[in-house]
Amino acid sequence: MSAQKDCEFLVKRARELVSDDPCAAKAWLITARTLYPTDFNIQYEMYIIERNAQRTASAGRLLYDMFINFTDQPIVWREISVITAALRSDSQDKHAQFLRGLFETLPGRVQCEMLLKATEQCFNTLEKAEMLLLLLKRFPESVVQHGVNLGETLLEAEASENVETPVNCFRKLFVCDVLPLVINNMDMRLPASLMQKYMLKAAEFYIGYVTRGPSPDVQIQGSQEGGTLKSPTVSRGSQRYVIDGLSEKSSMVAEPWERLLDILGVVGARCEWQGDKGQRSYVDMLQRVKELCRYLPGLEGDTRSRCCSQVVICAALVLFRSAFLYVSAVQPALFQGVNALSSGPWILVEDLSSVYSDVELERGAVKHAHKKRKLADGREKTMSSDDEEGLGKGRGRHILVNKTDMPIWSETLESFRTARESWDLLHSHDGLESEFKKICATWKTDSWLWFRIFLTDMIIFQGQYRKALSSLHQMAAVQQPQPGQQSPSGQASLEHHRALIQQASCHYALGEYRMACEKLLDVVGGLVPPSQEPTKAPEDQGRVKTKSRKGNDLRLLPCTSKAVLPFCLQLMLACFKLRAFTDNRDDLSLGHVVVLLQHDWPQGEMLFLKAVDKICQQGSFQYENFFNYVTNIDMLEEFAYLRTPEGGRIQLELLPNQGMLIKHHTVTRGITKGVKEDFRLAMERQVSRCGENLLSVLHRFCINEKIIIIQSLP
Amino acid sequence: MGDIRQSLLPRDVLSAAKELLYHLDIYICNLVQSGRQPPQVDSKTLELVEEFILHAPKDRNTPARRMSALQELQLLEIMCSCFQEQSRDTVRQLMFSALFNLQGNQADESRMALLGKLVSMAIAVGRVPILECAATWLQRTHRVYCVRLAQVLVDDYCSMVPGSVPTLQNIHSASPRFCCQFITAVTTLYDLTSEELTPPLELLQMIVSWIQDDPRLVLITFLNTPLSGSQPISSLDVTPLGGLVRWCIKAPLVYRKDKKQALMNGSEESEPEAGPLFSALHLSVLQVFMLLPNILNEKGLYGRLALLQMESLAALTSDLSRLLDQADKHTHTSSADTHALSQLALDRLAQALQVAMASGALLCSREDLRAICSRLPHNNLLQLVLSGPVMYYNNIHTPPLAFSPHAAHSPIASHPTLPTHPTIPTHPTIPTHPTLPTHPAHTPHTPLATHPSSHPQYSAQPFMTGMPFPFRPSH
Repeated sequence: MSAQKDCEFLVKRARELVSDDPCAAKAWLITARTLYPTDFNIQYEMYIIERNAQRTASAGRLLYDMFINFTDQPIVWREISVITAALRSDSQDKHAQFLRGLFETLPGRVQCEMLLKATEQCFNTLEKAEMLLLLLKRFPESVVQHGVNLGETLLEAEASENVETPVNCFRKLFVCDVLPLVINNMDMRLPASLMQKYMLKAAEFYIGYVTRGPSPDVQIQGSQEGGTLKSPTVSRGSQRYVIDGLSEKSSMVAEPWERLLDILGVVGARCEWQGDKGQRSYVDMLQRVKELCRYLPGLEGDTRSRCCSQVVICAALVLFRSAFLYVSAVQPALFQGVNALSSGPWILVEDLSSVYSDVELERGAVKHAHKKRKLADGREKTMSSDDEEGLGKGRGRHILVNKTDMPIWSETLESFRTARESWDLLHSHDGLESEFKKICATWKTDSWLWFRIFLTDMIIFQGQYRKALSSLHQMAAVQQPQPGQQSPSGQASLEHHRALIQQASCHYALGEYRMACEKLLDVVGGLVPPSQEPTKAPEDQGRVKTKSRKGNDLRLLPCTSKAVLPFCLQLMLACFKLRAFTDNRDDLSLGHVVVLLQHDWPQGEMLFLKAVDKICQQGSFQYENFFNYVTNIDMLEEFAYLRTPEGGRIQLELLPNQGMLIKHHTVTRGITKGVKEDFRLAMERQVSRCGENLLSVLHRFCINEKIIIIQSLP
Repeated sequence: MGDIRQSLLPRDVLSAAKELLYHLDIYICNLVQSGRQPPQVDSKTLELVEEFILHAPKDRNTPARRMSALQELQLLEIMCSCFQEQSRDTVRQLMFSALFNLQGNQADESRMALLGKLVSMAIAVGRVPILECAATWLQRTHRVYCVRLAQVLVDDYCSMVPGSVPTLQNIHSASPRFCCQFITAVTTLYDLTSEELTPPLELLQMIVSWIQDDPRLVLITFLNTPLSGSQPISSLDVTPLGGLVRWCIKAPLVYRKDKKQALMNGSEESEPEAGPLFSALHLSVLQVFMLLPNILNEKGLYGRLALLQMESLAALTSDLSRLLDQADKHTHTSSADTHALSQLALDRLAQALQVAMASGALLCSREDLRAICSRLPHNNLLQLVLSGPVMYYNNIHTPPLAFSPHAAHSPIASHPTLPTHPTIPTHPTIPTHPTLPTHPAHTPHTPLATHPSSHPQYSAQPFMTGMPFPFRPSH
């Protein structure tokens, strides 16, 4: 007969009734509460009924009453922690939504108190931070008191938890949630150094986020298309990405570059940076800091260091963004979230579209360019290494690209240019360079593969092929395909090909033809020739045809069998061409040239005629592989003609071991007749081979004659 | 205005009525403008209304003029637009009074008939000004006539024309005041004493949905009335709470009977069950009580105005005790069923008494309650309520706080110290036990004695005057 017994009786009756007649249950509890207003269980039972019926408003009111009147009840705290967990989660289930709605019905003051107390009771850094963040977002006035502390706690947690990447849950909360609150709060005064530190933390996060690689669990499927290199066909837009410790939704960062620009704008304004207050775009920003740079030498002390920081931070961000845009077009498979459907990888190589032009003309042009360059360099400064001789800093170089294959070609080239400009700006001054290097060291940009790809392409563009080669070797070492990897023929071999072709191109540019061909033939060995010859598209509509630039330009080549095999053939042709047409006799080289000229026929007609001239001058020509690889009817006719009296009775030794045969048969007359007969038969047979797939013939040539080809080069 | 009679006489009934309404409008406008307080419509004018609008015979010699049904409909339309177009509340109100205030004469019958038709029409076509006037009329008129008007409306909308309930449903948004008065009238009309006096289910459903949507609806008249204490004698209660409480408590016993009859008649209708409706209604009533402390405090009336009358509760308990007796005697089906329904009625009684008392709607001591409930059979909750809560708090978690009522933002705002009840000055603060004289062994456990200084504010709170009660529920 105690109050407690009464209360138990009343609650028990309500519980019995609640399922059949909830109204009656509530009537009991209302009565009970007027009898024992201070009994917790009665109020809790009322709350439970409303909560289970998901009536937001009434449940909220009861929770409020309990929060005010029964602060010491552990049950109340358990309930509050369930609600705050729902607030932090992005779960869309009905109950979580109800709990969030419930919280919203509470008066602001109570929400604030509730969150603060819930935060106090929380021991997990991440949860605690999320809770405090809820508070800061709802009650901006609390930012002053808790903002910076929360930020520092997160950065400390990041440091102490030894996370591997800047794209981690602590940094995400710091950068995306806490930082905007802190820097946008005008009641707070933060030292410029702290602002800049935070700015760089944000930049590192966003860059890391944007350039994150595809998730390892995504299956990379080989392309079904026979003619292309294996390329991932998974649509990257649909990939899921989760930052460890966060939910999928909160792992999403929309418009990272824009967010970064926003932060930069605010930080710039608060650090009193020069120039336009609002940072309109990355490109504008580069122009502004370029101008600013001109005043740099005249500045001193604080102004100078502030200016330095501004230039370095802005230029670095432009650099990384543009480099990313470039690499994401050239190597989309490196990144998650970049649409790889548009195109596969691209390789920056020497442009060889002028390979069929006259040797003399070209040789002269190259020599000429060489001279001019030497003269110009002499005036500027002495080059530190030999490979910088070639084309200096890449002034006046053009990059050709097939516009239909790469729809965003102009943006891509523009990004490449902007990135180079930013790089140059950052290295235009010792003060800038050292600050930039500090940033790079902190961020460990050396380990960013994508950035190295950009740097390599940049130094190729600058003509520093030796440096480029060593960079490519380093990259190859990093990306060495693991023997047990799941798709040896997929991504990894594609990367491997890409590097080899680029190396070949560099070797070629350095005049190291043998090395160039060695690399190329490694690639060709792994290619599958297209089943049929591609219908000739009007050759390179996109090419800027300016004759004077020949031999100076670069080209972005799609990394597909269709594009790579012709390039390899052209590059080999370029290697042998000079050698074949020297004054010394080199029938083997000349023969290779003839074989290679078949490709893209009749582009190389002029060169072929030149070769024929040379043969005529020599009076004889020996190339035992002729009938294995020459199937071009025009060429066959020409050679058949050469043997005739009208053609000049040129002595052709085109059959395998023919030389031996001739020597052997000179004893008897009539044997030459037999030789003639063999040649005629071979010619006839060859004519019947005219319909053969030329690319398979040439592919076979590359594979079968690999050793001879390489050995025939110095 | 009497001089226009001569001009009205030659006209036909409809145009005469029209003309009179027109003049009445002008007359009342002038009256209001003249600023005479209080504006009083003279008896001559009232006579004209009776003669030309209500068509009461002027004297025995002249035959009563009559209107055809069509003419009457036209007249009603004219009246509707007349009230609709008059923009001034005072004028409209005076006009309505001139037409429909009962004069205690022969004309009152036709007056009631015309009023019933006019209000019914106003509901149908949504004429809010008329409903507002009717609401005032329902506040000032003797309850017998109010009940008659309610009857007309219920007949029109719930009995005569099937499917017209939704039209009536709308009045709560058109005129909450009228709606509130209508509920009061209906609960007064249907006192559940006989089958005829049991509300039709559609009506019940409608009222439940109104109150569930907005519990404050039942307090609208109370909230809008200055309460100068000048309530006309025998008018309706200021809230329908008393009537609703009576419904909910008696319903389990009354509706059970009905159902049984329906079953015997073999008419298996798929009507909604009354049980859940009353359960919801009862809860709503309790929730309305819970709104009261704040409202009463704001009005400075806490402890001074009883919204539930002791006398009507006494009548209710005696009614209930009679019904329970009958139920016991006439029970043909399972007695367990009867028992459950009886207990439900008693539970509801106990809840209503407790919550009404705690919220200040009922001003009496537990002693008074024990008196009126003395003849009722045993019920655990009722006994708990009659004896009041146990007063030791040491086994409850926190020191006593004043009960926090509805208001979400000031839950700790305690009720002001409650004085004694001036309206019932006679009830003793420390109850004696007149109805239970057989338990002298229990020393009265009086809060005044145990907590004289620490919690003085509880001393006068009715439900705190707890004491050991011999029949506490055996949990």
